[in-house]
Amino acid sequence: MKIIAVITSLLIFVSLYLIFGYARIEGTMLEVQKIFYYHVSAALTVFVAFGVNCVFSIKYLIQRKPNDDLLAVAAAELGIVFCTIALLSGPIWARYAWNTWWNWEARLTSTLVLWLMYIGYFILRSALEGDKRRIYSAVLGIIAYLDVPIVYYAVDIWQGGLHPDRGTKWSLEATMRQTWMVALIALIMLFTFLLIVRYRMKKAQARYEIIRQKHLGEVS
Amino acid sequence: MKIAVLVSFLAVLIVFFFVAQIPITLTSDEVDKAVSEATTASGGSVDEELLAQAVQLSVAKLEKGQSTRLKYLASAYLVIWLVFVLYVLQLERQQQELDKRLAQLEQESDDA
Repeated sequence: MKIIAVITSLLIFVSLYLIFGYARIEGTMLEVQKIFYYHVSAALTVFVAFGVNCVFSIKYLIQRKPNDDLLAVAAAELGIVFCTIALLSGPIWARYAWNTWWNWEARLTSTLVLWLMYIGYFILRSALEGDKRRIYSAVLGIIAYLDVPIVYYAVDIWQGGLHPDRGTKWSLEATMRQTWMVALIALIMLFTFLLIVRYRMKKAQARYEIIRQKHLGEVS
Repeated sequence: MKIAVLVSFLAVLIVFFFVAQIPITLTSDEVDKAVSEATTASGGSVDEELLAQAVQLSVAKLEKGQSTRLKYLASAYLVIWLVFVLYVLQLERQQQELDKRLAQLEQESDDA
């Protein structure tokens, strides 16, 4: 765990150094283009986070192990955090590049829908108890994940939006591509670290509830 | 945990201010000197005062543009960091609450 924390911290500092001190300044957007490195990386980490949620939701529905549900919830929570980052940093870029904070184009709208669906996931969880909560939220987690490929392929499906083609990030100049790769790995490592922390906390909370119920039973 | 968050936040600010490609402000003396050197080197006759004025205006415009762009960049990274910091603080609050509840349960168990 400590090793992951150290590697993650190092990668974050290295990525920040590369962003501000190494990557070439892009010709059109100039310094503002540097938002790209964390914005796009956060957006891709969202896919990983909700992917983990989907996998463990399926696993829970098959095996009915409560720990799978806890891991799915932890991943969904982090997915929302990273999605919030992508949704907040995007408009700052948009204001400079497109002269507007928000535009109802396909990728932006589908990302907002994704964020809202996972907010709904937590609202559903707070409204239910026990097995019902786990089963219903696992089903919703799987359904919500269907929006991920829509977000990813939105620029291809609904052409003419403001976002560039999917392939643009791979055709970046060498220093920019290297910087982006480090930023992406840093955020995925950060997600992994926070996922472990959150999962352990959720497990401790669940264990506390079991002990408390047992204790209350003994007292009465 | 709070210290770690604070240290990481300060580290980001330090990285930003020391490594960022911040504009180099040109003084009017530097512009005058550069214009004078350039006209001497070219050997042509130009109105140095007018040229210096034009150069200064261009530099001011470029610097203003760069300053605006850096504000956008700094705002974006500040927002990103703020989301992480708020999330980590929320985790810490939940952990403290759980510790408190566990201590309470232990106390109740001892009393019983």
